[in-house]
Amino acid sequence: MPEDLNWAIGGEAGDGINSTGKIFAQALSRAGRHVFTSKDFASRIRGGYTAYKVRTAVDRVESVVDRLDVLIALTERTIDENMNELHEGSVIIYDGERTTMQNVEIPEEMIGLEVPLKRLAEEAGGAIMANVVALGAACEVTGFPIENLDESLEKRFGDKGEAIVENNKKAARAGQEFVQAEYDHDYGYSLETTDNDYVLLNGDEAIGMGAIAAGCRFYSGYPITPATDVMEYMTGRVDQFGGKVVQAEDELAAINMALGAARAGARAMTATSGPGIDLMTETFGLVATTETPLVICDVMRSGPSTGMPTKQEQGDLNMALYGGHGEIPRFVVTPTNISECFWKTVEAFNLAEKYQTPVFLVSDLALAVTEQTFAPETFDMDEVEIERGKVVDEDDIDSWQNEKEQFQPHFPAADGVSPRTFPGTSGGAHMTTGLEHDALGRRTEDTEVREDQVEKRERKVETAREREDWDYREFGDPDADTLVVSWGSNEGAMREGLEMLAEDGLDVRFISVPYIFPRPDLSEEIEAAEQTIVVECNATGQFADVIEHDVLERVDRVNKYDGVRFKADELAEEIKDAVAEETEVSA
Amino acid sequence: MSAFSAIGDEREVDRDEFTPGIEPQATWCPGCGDFGVLKALKQAMPEVGRNPDEVALFTGIGCSGKLNSYFNSYGFHTIHGRSLPVARAAKLANPDVEVIAAGGDGDGYGIGGNHFMHTARENHDMTYIVFNNEIFGLTKGQTSPTSPKGHKSKTQPSGSAKSPIRPLSLALTSGATYVARTAAVNPNQAKEIIAEAIEHDGFAHVDFLTQCPTWNKDAKHYVPYTDIQQSDDHDFDTSNREEAQQMMFETENKLYEGEVLTGRYYVDDESPSYQEEKQATGEMPEEPLAERYFDEDYEWERTADSLLEHHK
Ligand SMILES: Cc1ncc(C[n+]2csc(CCOP(=O)(O)OP(=O)(O)O)c2C)c(N)n1
Ligand code: SF4
Ligand SMILES: [Mg+2]
Repeated sequence: MPEDLNWAIGGEAGDGINSTGKIFAQALSRAGRHVFTSKDFASRIRGGYTAYKVRTAVDRVESVVDRLDVLIALTERTIDENMNELHEGSVIIYDGERTTMQNVEIPEEMIGLEVPLKRLAEEAGGAIMANVVALGAACEVTGFPIENLDESLEKRFGDKGEAIVENNKKAARAGQEFVQAEYDHDYGYSLETTDNDYVLLNGDEAIGMGAIAAGCRFYSGYPITPATDVMEYMTGRVDQFGGKVVQAEDELAAINMALGAARAGARAMTATSGPGIDLMTETFGLVATTETPLVICDVMRSGPSTGMPTKQEQGDLNMALYGGHGEIPRFVVTPTNISECFWKTVEAFNLAEKYQTPVFLVSDLALAVTEQTFAPETFDMDEVEIERGKVVDEDDIDSWQNEKEQFQPHFPAADGVSPRTFPGTSGGAHMTTGLEHDALGRRTEDTEVREDQVEKRERKVETAREREDWDYREFGDPDADTLVVSWGSNEGAMREGLEMLAEDGLDVRFISVPYIFPRPDLSEEIEAAEQTIVVECNATGQFADVIEHDVLERVDRVNKYDGVRFKADELAEEIKDAVAEETEVSA
Repeated sequence: MSAFSAIGDEREVDRDEFTPGIEPQATWCPGCGDFGVLKALKQAMPEVGRNPDEVALFTGIGCSGKLNSYFNSYGFHTIHGRSLPVARAAKLANPDVEVIAAGGDGDGYGIGGNHFMHTARENHDMTYIVFNNEIFGLTKGQTSPTSPKGHKSKTQPSGSAKSPIRPLSLALTSGATYVARTAAVNPNQAKEIIAEAIEHDGFAHVDFLTQCPTWNKDAKHYVPYTDIQQSDDHDFDTSNREEAQQMMFETENKLYEGEVLTGRYYVDDESPSYQEEKQATGEMPEEPLAERYFDEDYEWERTADSLLEHHK
């Protein structure tokens, strides 16, 4: 397990918690340390408790844990909210001169550091820098060389002028020096730096970056937590590569615009979350039956209805698999970590174009609000391949015309994949419709043609099933009796949980599934194991249901639906309990 | 030169090219006004010099939505109420394509009303033809947003309690830069107006009165009609917003009093289209993005380093 430090800054929404936390995370990343961040937040812009948490180590960190070592508390509530994670020896930095913080009581076994954040900031040039004073204090406590903070401060405040940057550096040092002068605890931390140079990004950014790298040049969306970052990331960036981002009037417009752009020849995408996906549903079928490539991204949050907009849940699996009336051929891809958010996005575009279907790219809030460090090579864009499928230009259009020189957009080819042309291509004019249609795209209710077209669309899925890899990712002990299966963002917590379990003498095989449809066949793996446990962040076990259906066998379930992602230590305990229960039953 | 060979092709275009190779038998009822739209559209195309391969026609659901079954082009029959977002995005992806959307009064002013408002507001460079038969035709004669107050139908047996929508006024207040009304009973004017609407740079809205003899009024109800540009009784300036508004208001009232006024109501050649505005701020490429993507020699590699730098 990594030698990690867990650090957080918390206060009220609007206190600059995010940007301060990000400065610290970025400084660690630039200093060659791995970082995994998470956020506690309420959806209100001001007035709710919010925190930015950083877990850092020299080795990779893949999840959050239930332990907080150093906390900058801007409000008393921040301490209360984190009481369960604080432990003996935890350090709490707070401004005891702040009127609301004067009666704060720090539990005896912890170390409270009263630092006059506001006063020191004023002395350095302005009260607004109080959080930066706190960062300086944190550097002292954690043994993190303060020079590492400087570049992050330059990056954050550079566009405000050199004087502001200098003042911030001064403010940070004031915090550090205050702690040095006033306290002489041995905190026991010394954050080592390395020569590595990492990039730090969250899952939404990775999806946006993957989309741009994959040649997506049209994005339409309507803001919604936690998918908005995808749109904001692409805005201003995709333009540099000749693309366009549009904020539509609603999600109905958003998905239909993406569809229109795709018909005209652009690689197109829309991203949303639960309520938006609901609105988009009618268009899923239109996309599928007109055989238009489209990437539809759902960054899940907790439902139903408006639910808990800033909380985690993997509740939309059934929606992605079955949403929409009638039978809709589709693919469902679920990235299992942040770098996979990039690569699965690339793959989603290729699948969409090769098979002319909607592709659901299903991520979740835990991935969206988490930033993680990676070696830049992780996103080697020369490895990105763009496969456009059967796009036909004027030179080979005649091979797809019938004897009357009409283009056949829904030609029932042996592999199910028909040709595609874009408006402007000579000889390609054709119609298509959401009504059942013939090879020419004309409406029909002819029973044979109907069967042909249904079968042709299904055939594409079968072709894809054979031609593509639908592999799972595997960790832990391949011969273990206990098999844990999960999908999406639980991978990180489970990977760390594996190490904890191994230390406790429990070997586990872990299969992390990034494809829900088509999906890998797990019959042999489940057959080989004594016990299979399916882990997911929802109450009903939507993925477990799918697996039981596949293998016609019961599996055990570990579900979490309190709105908070799995933490490594907590998940390890749950697995232990599930194993113990099974042993009891069979004993 | 466009990578899309049909675009900018200077050849003579014949209206018959817009008749699909195997003409499906029209399923509109005899005497339906929808035939009038089809005919006007086919006649307008040679006039604007566009060939079928460079035109994209997006329709909604309704009797009106069947238009592209009888009109050869890149036709896309969408779902109820959604033709506008599909159409306007196709235009953004390839501004060189001539983009037309069409649908019924229920489709455009009812279920798709929000898109109508916003597509007009953003002044997308496209043409929108609404087949206004004052009824839901395809679903067999229910009250539509343009059915007059008191209109009786199976779903409103005691008569519609609501005043109808004012389509022309709504287009104007929303931001459309070309607003006209024509009628199936006046084919010459219809053809001219559709050609003008297509040539207009910006959102052109044509409220097209199409009689539905099966469920609502027949053609007789739309004659006599008055072309406001030809009539001495209606003197106003189509580039003046207030005067246009006044004229629309009068027209909308008169229709329900049995007087059919048609013509151009508002023409604003000054306001930039969405695309022009976004290109000016650098948020939209000068080169059609569909074309850029179409180019097989496109250098995708350029996306790499600049993106990663931001995350360091
Ligand atoms: C979402 C949805 N709701 C309802 C329908 C049923 N429907 C089809 S067309 C139509 C109304 C058509 O009226 P209008 O748009 O005026 O077209 P018209 O037939 O008069 O040309 C309705 C309600 C549908 N196809 N989709
Ligand atoms: S029902 Fe009315 S609108 Fe529909 S085709 Fe018949 S006449 Fe035309
Ligand atoms: Mg109608």
